[in-house]
Amino acid sequence: MASFIPNLESAPDTCPEFKRRKRRTTDEKPASFHSHQRNQRIKRWRTQREQHIYSSKLIQALRRSRRTSSAAKEVHETADIVLAVLAKGTTRWSKAILTARKMARHKKAKVAANTRLRKPAVSREKRKTPVVQRKLKVLGRLVPGCRKLSFPNLLEETSDYIAALEMQVRAMTAITEFLAGSGPQPPADRLASNVNS
Amino acid sequence: MSSRRSRSRQSSGSRITDDQIIDLVSKLQQLIPELRGRRSDKVSASKVLQETCNYIRNLHRQVDGLSDRLSQLLASTDTDSDQAAIIRSLLME
Repeated sequence: MASFIPNLESAPDTCPEFKRRKRRTTDEKPASFHSHQRNQRIKRWRTQREQHIYSSKLIQALRRSRRTSSAAKEVHETADIVLAVLAKGTTRWSKAILTARKMARHKKAKVAANTRLRKPAVSREKRKTPVVQRKLKVLGRLVPGCRKLSFPNLLEETSDYIAALEMQVRAMTAITEFLAGSGPQPPADRLASNVNS
Repeated sequence: MSSRRSRSRQSSGSRITDDQIIDLVSKLQQLIPELRGRRSDKVSASKVLQETCNYIRNLHRQVDGLSDRLSQLLASTDTDSDQAAIIRSLLME
């Protein structure tokens, strides 16, 4: 526990300093604790178990929405929403996906589209901005809900987002291969062989 | 008191050291298959960010293609093989 709060260890006597440092440590959680949590989250995306949970939830969701529409766009949206739900609301990108869905339902998506159209005015400044800054901006646009994040936070979100996307690809590939494979065979036989194995 | 708080917030926001940036960029580099094997001192931050963007776009495209394929498959399969899919996926867990 002591390692999490190194500042307190060094200056326990100086009262105002102590208070200032203590306030800072309550504002920013210890870096080592945070990074451990982040690594655990990212590792989760790479497990078979997580992929299976995602696959079955996705299949359930697709079955439900099949009544309404099964267009590619809807499938992609469903896949993203299930992914965001699985993220359990700890990351910005997952919250952004779920919020976007809520917004779309209330028809506020039109407002968001209008504000996006105003952006071209900023591009005139492009030659002043260093290359890294520009690329950071592009990255911020690619990861949902991360347009205005600082460099460290953006990289943190990106790491989690990439791990989640990779799992999404693995899971959907497996589902697609399975559904494609079960096509030509008679369904009843398939069911029987499943029960036997 | 408010000035002290805003000062600390400012310093925690802008005082990201060069070392920290180098460290974060190299961590990001490890996530990109394209750049994973390369030595981090040989790959510029700009390159890492560029490849990260390309990789994410690539993953998005893959999901697009898979969604398209899945929507076709779901439209063509009947309810019996649908049930088989559910059972199979549950058995796999």
